[in-house]
Amino acid sequence: MIFVIKNEKLRRFLKFVLPWIAIPAVVALGVFAFGEKRYAFISVCVVILATVLFCAGFEKRTVGTRRLIVIAVMTALSVVGRFVFAPIPGFKPITAIVVITAVYLGGESGFMVGALSAVISNFYFGQGPWTPFQMFAWGMIGYIAGLLQNPLKKSRVALGIYGVFAGAAFSCIMDVWTVLWYDNAFHWELYLSAIVTALPFMVSYAISNVVFLLLLGRPFGEKLERIKIKYGV
Amino acid sequence: MKAFADYNPISVFFCIMGVASVGMFCMDPLLLGLSLIGALALFLARNGRAGMKECLWYPLLFLITAIGNPLFNHKGVTVLFVLNDNPVTLESVYYGLAMGCMLVGTLLWFRSFSQIMTSDRLLYLFGAASPKLALILSMTMRYIPLFRAQAEKTNRSQKALGLYKEDNIPDRLKGGLRVFSVLVTWALENGVTTADSMTARGYGIGKRSQFAIFRFRRSDAVLLLLSLAFTALTFTGMGLGKVGFEFFPAVTPVKATPFGVLVYISYGALSLLPAILEISEALRWKSLQSAI
Repeated sequence: MIFVIKNEKLRRFLKFVLPWIAIPAVVALGVFAFGEKRYAFISVCVVILATVLFCAGFEKRTVGTRRLIVIAVMTALSVVGRFVFAPIPGFKPITAIVVITAVYLGGESGFMVGALSAVISNFYFGQGPWTPFQMFAWGMIGYIAGLLQNPLKKSRVALGIYGVFAGAAFSCIMDVWTVLWYDNAFHWELYLSAIVTALPFMVSYAISNVVFLLLLGRPFGEKLERIKIKYGV
Repeated sequence: MKAFADYNPISVFFCIMGVASVGMFCMDPLLLGLSLIGALALFLARNGRAGMKECLWYPLLFLITAIGNPLFNHKGVTVLFVLNDNPVTLESVYYGLAMGCMLVGTLLWFRSFSQIMTSDRLLYLFGAASPKLALILSMTMRYIPLFRAQAEKTNRSQKALGLYKEDNIPDRLKGGLRVFSVLVTWALENGVTTADSMTARGYGIGKRSQFAIFRFRRSDAVLLLLSLAFTALTFTGMGLGKVGFEFFPAVTPVKATPFGVLVYISYGALSLLPAILEISEALRWKSLQSAI
């Protein structure tokens, strides 16, 4: 017995049904089953739903081979970057590469690079309940950068500001998870205290993002533009 | 019979996720204890003595959570003593203990999950949902060692050219950026060549299929069904209020309704199942070896 559904119609039906009905059903089940812990459960479900829907959209669209490869290359680069810059503590180029990809190749590619980088770098750093949140956080950072394509491409100041924003946003999204898991309901005081304890991390994320974006932004962009012109991605 | 890790990834995924999703979000001390025992048994069964060493810091984490909670959480009616004008209550001590169980149990489940779900298994899981995503993932996984090797080569040649040393941070950053920039150019060109080669060989013409080395056998179906059924039963029990626990304002006694007991038994079975499979396989292996 091999796990493949042969019927094409049934497969298409399942692909439609799974994200749109199954996951909201899981959310409802969580509300029903988990009483006081429901916020944590729902937040996990919503994050997974958002990521799955995005990937489903990507699966459906016809994407050129070259674009597919460039996404794989950028994801691999962002993971390798963690090793190349390992001698300098706290410096990770993942966010910068996600933003650059989004700016030059569009928000959808940015989302994919962000989400995939999270899964793959966690092969080396450990998967956990935080994986969907990292996927969502980096994915959204990429997607929003794609929406702000033009100002980010033109002005270095805007790019720097976005780097600070992305560092803060990443830290804030991850703290939502910490607080929800630790204390059932969402308490502002606890959230604020979590943010304050995470402040050094947030600052180091923001600084490394700005440094990487300013240093890598132009040359990286030129390389991507060159590839786009030379090969027509 | 086979070891837990050798079951089809789909069954393994649903089994661990079922146990962990209950152990992560419910606050019933009995269920949390069962989850912790199952997680610990599986981890030790898979890692033996080396695993024991790694487990050493978990009691510390447990203690920090258990002690930390009563210091910050002042809900509850039974005041033990007052510290700096803040009451330390018995209920929050219990709550801290339960939190500790939950934290350590969940971390251990995910530890075993990462160990079992190697990249080929995860690819198989992704591939069942989305072939295109699985293709990108597998290409990326291949690129990482390739790029690392290339980066190392570039680094050595650039250093040999005397372009930078590695004894201060700005220089290291400069060097890192140089290597990275070279790597990016090389990687993008290399990628486009790969893409052209794929197109030339007919990628994108037909439907994408996926190679998988994992069979879905009857035993896998049994494990999958058991996991789903036990998880569903536990969820139902929690939803109907047959199991569950209130810490605040006062601790409620554990309910012992027949259905509740059934839920505890089924969750315990689900939680211990991986460890039992793993240990029985190890024992069988030993007995076969000693028979030679």
